[in-house]
Amino acid sequence: MMLWAWRGFRRRPHDPERNAAEYVTGELSRRATRWFEAHLLHCEDCWREVLLGRLGRRVAEEAREQASAGLRDRVRAAVQFTSEGGPAGPSEPSSS
Amino acid sequence: MANEQDEFLRATMGAVDLVYNLSRRLTDRRQDAEDLVQDTFLQAFRAWTDHRRPKKVEPWLATICLNLARSRYRSRARRPSEVPFEEWMVEGRSSADPESRAVQVIEREQLYRAMRELPEEQRVAITLVDLSGFSTYEAAEAMGTPRGTVLSRLHRGRRALARLLGDRIEEVIR
Repeated sequence: MMLWAWRGFRRRPHDPERNAAEYVTGELSRRATRWFEAHLLHCEDCWREVLLGRLGRRVAEEAREQASAGLRDRVRAAVQFTSEGGPAGPSEPSSS
Repeated sequence: MANEQDEFLRATMGAVDLVYNLSRRLTDRRQDAEDLVQDTFLQAFRAWTDHRRPKKVEPWLATICLNLARSRYRSRARRPSEVPFEEWMVEGRSSADPESRAVQVIEREQLYRAMRELPEEQRVAITLVDLSGFSTYEAAEAMGTPRGTVLSRLHRGRRALARLLGDRIEEVIR
């Protein structure tokens, strides 16, 4: 396994940022994932990038918000109003 | 028209959170974000009634939102942030794994500041992929950039956010 990983490491282009981004996003193929996980055991750079990528993703997920019910109603009403022949122009940006 | 309206709302209203999160990362204030959400849906509805309908609504709405933000809100989004902190507060979620515990120790203020300090391209990539569940292929299409560029922006943004954890990273590694 380690020999296979080492050969894979030598054969494949080595881009820690890109590999880590794809791995953390879950977009590597099953085969590429196997290779990369074996490769991580030997490559400090990729290991570090994966760790930072995973943590950063968790931090980003904490910032997720839900639109309020009021906003949903407002969108529905605006579409309905436009549909009934009201002016379809964009909302006026609110002043500061 | 009423049928079209119902059809449109049925197809798109599930994506309000997505458009809202994107809008929040593209504007300074909650009110501006809500205006941008409304404008996005109105523009989408006009396209819908012109029979320009997408295969998948989420990337389509994201693209409209990004284009509107670029054309109309960009100068506002680039202003130095003077947003009252409460504007960015949301409830945190609790979970038990080590990464989540490490994340939970971050001050909310730090989190929102860090998000706002990211370059816009990184913020958008993170919002589309990590907050909205787009693939990097879909994000690339919405952002009009090659996928490799999205991967790079995504990773750099994530790395910048991870730095918030500072010394806590060591605890997670152990």
